[in-house]
Amino acid sequence: MKVKCLWISICCLLVAGCWDRTEVNDLAIITAASVDKAKNEEITLSVQIFLPRALGGGAGGAGGTGGGQGKLTTMRNSNGPNIADAISKLQAKIPRQIFWGHCKVYIFGEEIAKQGLADHIDFLVRHPEPRNRAYLYISKGEGLDTLDITPSLERSTAESLREYADLHIGMAVTLVDFRNMLRGESEAAAIPIIENGKKLQKPEDIQVKAVMVGTAILKRDKMIGSLTLHETRGLLWLRNEMNKAAISVQLNGVEGIVSVNPIRTKTKLIPHLENGKWSMLVHVDTEGDVVENGTRLNLMKPELLALVQNAVRADIEARMRMTLKVLQQELQTDVVNFAAAFHREYPKEWEKAKGQWEKIFPQIEIHTQINVNIRRPGLISVPAGVPQEEIKNDE
Amino acid sequence: MLEKGKISASQMGMMLFLAVVASGVMSIPGITGKYAHNDLWLSPIWAALMGTVTVWIAHRLHCMYPEKTSVQYSEEVVGKVAGKAIGFLFIFFYLHLSGFVVRSYAEFIVQNFLHKTPISVVIITMIFVCTWAVRAGIEVIGRTAQLFFPVFLIPVLFIPLLLNNMKLDYLFPMLEHGLVPSIKGALVPGGWLSEMFLLSFLLPYVRNQEKGKSSALYAVIGVTLLLTMINFFILFVLGKQIGDFLFPVMVAFRYISVAEFFENMESLVMAIWILGMFVKISIFYYVTVLGASQWFRMSDYRSLVLPIGFFVGLFSFWSFPNFNTGLYFDIYAFPFYGPLIQTVLPLFLLIIAALRKKGQSQNQNLTAAKHK
Repeated sequence: MKVKCLWISICCLLVAGCWDRTEVNDLAIITAASVDKAKNEEITLSVQIFLPRALGGGAGGAGGTGGGQGKLTTMRNSNGPNIADAISKLQAKIPRQIFWGHCKVYIFGEEIAKQGLADHIDFLVRHPEPRNRAYLYISKGEGLDTLDITPSLERSTAESLREYADLHIGMAVTLVDFRNMLRGESEAAAIPIIENGKKLQKPEDIQVKAVMVGTAILKRDKMIGSLTLHETRGLLWLRNEMNKAAISVQLNGVEGIVSVNPIRTKTKLIPHLENGKWSMLVHVDTEGDVVENGTRLNLMKPELLALVQNAVRADIEARMRMTLKVLQQELQTDVVNFAAAFHREYPKEWEKAKGQWEKIFPQIEIHTQINVNIRRPGLISVPAGVPQEEIKNDE
Repeated sequence: MLEKGKISASQMGMMLFLAVVASGVMSIPGITGKYAHNDLWLSPIWAALMGTVTVWIAHRLHCMYPEKTSVQYSEEVVGKVAGKAIGFLFIFFYLHLSGFVVRSYAEFIVQNFLHKTPISVVIITMIFVCTWAVRAGIEVIGRTAQLFFPVFLIPVLFIPLLLNNMKLDYLFPMLEHGLVPSIKGALVPGGWLSEMFLLSFLLPYVRNQEKGKSSALYAVIGVTLLLTMINFFILFVLGKQIGDFLFPVMVAFRYISVAEFFENMESLVMAIWILGMFVKISIFYYVTVLGASQWFRMSDYRSLVLPIGFFVGLFSFWSFPNFNTGLYFDIYAFPFYGPLIQTVLPLFLLIIAALRKKGQSQNQNLTAAKHK
């Protein structure tokens, strides 16, 4: 009995594991971090720190989303030759232990992205605290300005950016996605670009300006160019990442615009290689609903609906071709990862060609096959705001 | 007999399953991925061959010498001196391996979760808990295995949470460089599966002998299935990066995020899999203690539990100076060292034993003929 008691007490003492206990009130919880270029080959690491007191004090008994009037986050920064070094210097400015476990957004300044992200990504992957599901962004200008913005809808800019990623307006790239792109056959990556934080400081700026402004195109880890937001949509179609869109089309010889929301889309890349000629069939299947009909056409008629489908098809094709033109001719970077599709289908030929992929990619011939199915007309059959006699049942 | 307890065949199967897979599920996929790339799902199937062969050898030997463990029957097979030497080799092997496993477990914990806790604390607490289990005997370890086996499989249920992030494309092109990469990738899990030789220490205490072999084979199948499934899982999630990460399974579980709510699952998964580690270490530790007491021809093994626990602790400190060396051992030494002791050596014992039996029966026939 005595022995048993002794055993139990020894185990209780040792199993508790008190070395690594962490109290929430000793932590400085980082919600977002940015890395910018500084002078003398150094970087500036800026972190957005969550202020728990602001939340507790402001909300009071009301609880939850109302929150205080003040900022819920604060920004600190520090310079150093790399992230780890900058953190240790940053720690000297913060009385609480820096905690990375809730950092959901990493922003890189444009300058540092052009120099290469390799050195900085390593810390984020190697250190056990940062989450590999955090989203990456490249900021026009410097990233640290974004961290200091007080958004009106969300608690912090980190939260806003994470929501943007979930909405899939532009690309949404996590740390794991980014590494997969780097390790992929084409060694090209894409990261969404956000507007320069300096231009979004005032509330009225936030009201009118878009935050997501396009996509940065990286060769290996270095940024070499960018796509506009419009071109980004084409990239999303090509990469099979499109899930929210409104395609507005003008029908031939018809006044007004019809808008269609694709609900489900699937893009398949079907490579073809014959006699050393590389070509790619982009196969898109999409189905969706009509959301706005500004024409006089009665879209309940199958032949008129077919007209809309054809127009949507042409629109999607135009978008993809526009993006591909930029990628193939201007940037010559394969962020769609055609290379992987060829590797899967023609492993032997790929083995020989992979050294010259940069030369092959711009010359790939693109074919498209797009199936558009408009399944439902919405809640009303005829154009809603048009008198009965003006509705056309044919062209 | 030293050990009076009895276990059922199914308990033994679960013990073997956990003994192989508890540490393997964490570290094997990363190593396999490094060599087999996108064919890594095939590697456990090759490795299963090693497991099956080992089970067959251990079971044949057991049939020749029922009620005896490999430390005991090696004396009968090759004579006293050589037998003692082989027995010592087995004991030393499992002692070293127990230490090695404890250390790998502790390195994993310290590296990922308890950064500031001294590694000695992680090691010593684990050995303490296992000491208790080992003192209680094989029945208790068997029941713990039975209890923790279903719990151990819970993390598999979390895999569907990542369905959204899985890309089947990573699977192709299949067998781009032939079968060689997947066989290379199978060497390490093959080494792990040779640990099925623990069977030779457990079989004498199995109540329903006739089911012993089949439940050991079920354990091999279970290990293969689990490893294959985990390999598919990390391949679909991490794609070309599997070989880069030391613990890709943890990275993949960490990637789970459902509705902003089911996040940071890796701590839960690890907490569950540590239960398996406890069973694994207990079995290795127990086998060392049992083997040693049989080697010394003692009447009770309990007096050896603490001293050997002390040695397990020492070996865990001695086994490697840093994580990198430990991994180096796992990749370059163990795939040969493990099967050499646990498969090839028993195979030699089996051949010699079979020849002897044949000789004996011939002798008997001769003498019987003379008497006629």
